[in-house]
Amino acid sequence: MIHRLDSHPTHAYENFKLRAGKPIPFGATIVPGGVNFSVYSRYADSCELVLFQKHEKKPFAAIPFCQEFCIGNVFAMVVFDLDYENIEYGYRMSGPWDPESGHRFDSSKILLDPYAKSIGGRDVWGIEPDWTDVFPHRSRIFFDDFDWENDSQLQIPFEDLIIYEMHVRNFTIHPSSEAKHPGSFSAIREKIPYLKNLGINCVELLPIHEFDEFENSRISPVTGERLMNLWGYSNIGFFAPKAGFAATGTYGMQVDELKTTIKALHKAGIEVILDVVFNHTAEGNEQGPYISYRGIDNKSYYMLTPEGYYYNFSGCGNTLNCNNPIVRNMILDCLRYWVSDYHVDGFRFDLASILGRDQNGAPMNSPPLLETLAFDPILGKCKLIAEAWDAGGLYQVGSFPSWDRWAEWNGKYRDDMRRYLKGDAGMIPNVINRLQGSPDLYQWQNRKTSASVNFITCHDGFTLMDLVSYNDKHNEANGENNGDGSNDNSSWNCGIEGTSDNPEIIRLRTKQIKNALTMLLVSNGAPMLLSGDEMGNSQMGNNNAYCQDNEISWLDWTCLEEHTEIFRFVKCMIAFRKKHAVLRTSVYVKQACGIAEISWHGVKSWVVDASHESRIIAFMCRCFSSSHEPDIYVVCNMHWEMHGVELPPASEHARWYVSANTDMPSPFDIYEDGNELILENQHEFLVGPRSVAVLISKRDQAKEH
Amino acid sequence: MDVTSCEKHGLLVIQVSGELDSTTAGDAEQEITRRIAEGTSLVLDLTKCRYISSAGLRVLLMIGKQLKLHGGSWALAGLSPEIIDIMEMTGFSTYFTICSTVGEAADSLSQT
Repeated sequence: MIHRLDSHPTHAYENFKLRAGKPIPFGATIVPGGVNFSVYSRYADSCELVLFQKHEKKPFAAIPFCQEFCIGNVFAMVVFDLDYENIEYGYRMSGPWDPESGHRFDSSKILLDPYAKSIGGRDVWGIEPDWTDVFPHRSRIFFDDFDWENDSQLQIPFEDLIIYEMHVRNFTIHPSSEAKHPGSFSAIREKIPYLKNLGINCVELLPIHEFDEFENSRISPVTGERLMNLWGYSNIGFFAPKAGFAATGTYGMQVDELKTTIKALHKAGIEVILDVVFNHTAEGNEQGPYISYRGIDNKSYYMLTPEGYYYNFSGCGNTLNCNNPIVRNMILDCLRYWVSDYHVDGFRFDLASILGRDQNGAPMNSPPLLETLAFDPILGKCKLIAEAWDAGGLYQVGSFPSWDRWAEWNGKYRDDMRRYLKGDAGMIPNVINRLQGSPDLYQWQNRKTSASVNFITCHDGFTLMDLVSYNDKHNEANGENNGDGSNDNSSWNCGIEGTSDNPEIIRLRTKQIKNALTMLLVSNGAPMLLSGDEMGNSQMGNNNAYCQDNEISWLDWTCLEEHTEIFRFVKCMIAFRKKHAVLRTSVYVKQACGIAEISWHGVKSWVVDASHESRIIAFMCRCFSSSHEPDIYVVCNMHWEMHGVELPPASEHARWYVSANTDMPSPFDIYEDGNELILENQHEFLVGPRSVAVLISKRDQAKEH
Repeated sequence: MDVTSCEKHGLLVIQVSGELDSTTAGDAEQEITRRIAEGTSLVLDLTKCRYISSAGLRVLLMIGKQLKLHGGSWALAGLSPEIIDIMEMTGFSTYFTICSTVGEAADSLSQT
């Protein structure tokens, strides 16, 4: 083996052997004989590398970057003979204290490396930290090798996705999950058979980047217990997984555990999408702590007012300066890292509209960051999904810059379908658009149905059970006098607020849940289910449970026994969607000449009543590309009365069969493939009050021959 | 960390005691590799190994891959339940034959 000329020290500082480092890549990189440390700061005058033994309160060394270790605005040096597995490191930066000019340097603070791949300090979830620690969130060095064997991104076509939005901890922390390591990445691996049985093919994980669960200092007025930051929309570091979500976090092996989990999900045919929060950091506003960015280069990392205060487009105190070229590169480096090193299949960008604002906060026409991500070669096959709004009033559902790459959380789908579900008048024209993938929003830009992630519930807001059980939010336990969380829920409690023993109300709620899920799963676009909705999970009316690390949020797996009917229905409905490609066309059906056709119907076939008081809409999908594909007829009646609807004739030699009818009790609410129920009356169907029915055509073998 | 070897049940048994982490893993790799002739079947006895870090697990994986490449095989014996659990969660367990005792490991090797 030939040794490199640059693998020997050239400098010494106290007992440390050093040499000038490589500025790229940023972060700490293991190199022959040592570790290369590289950090950017445009405005710092000087920088020190501060080294700690793992978990020690006091550093054992502070090594200044000498002049010859600086190149441009980067400090880079190699430190030889470090026991990198047992150290933690940070930086101290000296520079101007001049808030009006955007500078807040404080050389007494030890700062986390913005490129830290592993972060120590919150190794085990919920262990009370030492509040006197001068360096609570510590950069660590980790082997980035992993044996992926033959794994690669699954590349499931967007329109074929069935997304399951999941919070790592909530999913299995409840004792009823019977997971060996509750609340961890590993426990997701244990639940893969469950996810496969349900039929989903993509999990979207709420933030798994390192955050501080102790960030919230409020006390629950209901229980008197401390509230936590459970959801984690408050990044400390963008490159490091949340150690407290790993059962091996205490051993510092969260990276391997997460990679193993992703590899196992891929093996089961399940993609992994990460919810990423690039709009702000955990450092908050002027009163917030120094964790990293504020002390390293406040002016580069944050959007600042002309007076040097923090813009707050995120609603969380600060706004990451996403279209500053340095920050833009950091985001790109970060996403590339998650794709190449973790084989992640896609990203959902929290408050993504912020990513399209310029350095003064003004929305841009072709935001460079969004364009860069759309065209990046390493991100080329991964899903990019925008939450196309922000807390500064920008709402871009239907107008988020896309370059034919970006999809959107379709907030209008949620709003319209909720209102229709509860029986609001005047919804039919919008519902027609929503069911066919929202062409009104996307088709005019030549975007495809894959622009739309359809959802009725997500982590933010009511669960599906609560959507049909509460008219109003009940967030008292959040400690803000029920003032937090959205007031605009478009929910309906079916007669009584909250839980009820009344069998009629229970029956109606179950039916409404089935109605919602049926409409979701027959809509074009990619459906997203909220984890737990498939088993009737409730948050007791809390529509903003970000801080409730307790029974309110934890998924109670005994719901599966209580709501077997709902689970069976969702599972069969997912299977139905997967079976019938006509429900998953990538192009809008009107454009798919000769392949498929969608026709719209009402009480009378071929006639749509879109008037204000109409609450019935039906559609028929007919596939021309394959003679084996049945016709599908779906009728949605959100009126409180039963209606007879005239059926369009099925294809030649075929008759209509019932696949699903939410008005019927289980097991007659849905029929598995091949066991559908033939309709005695082929000309008219009685659709129950607040019900959805799905019919398919089946060829009559006798007639055909 | 200390590496010793002996022959038991007609097989080479290498015993690692102490801690296997970034400070010792390199030496352990050298010591173990030095004792392995091409095509050897052997047992790695970790009964006296108190801790295996991420670097330690990587070294074991590398040795195992090299051994397999040269037609050899091995089994690990005497791992604590805690280490086995860590290996399971981080995906390392899938690469090893893990047995509770040296005798069991010898049996499993003789069956292959």
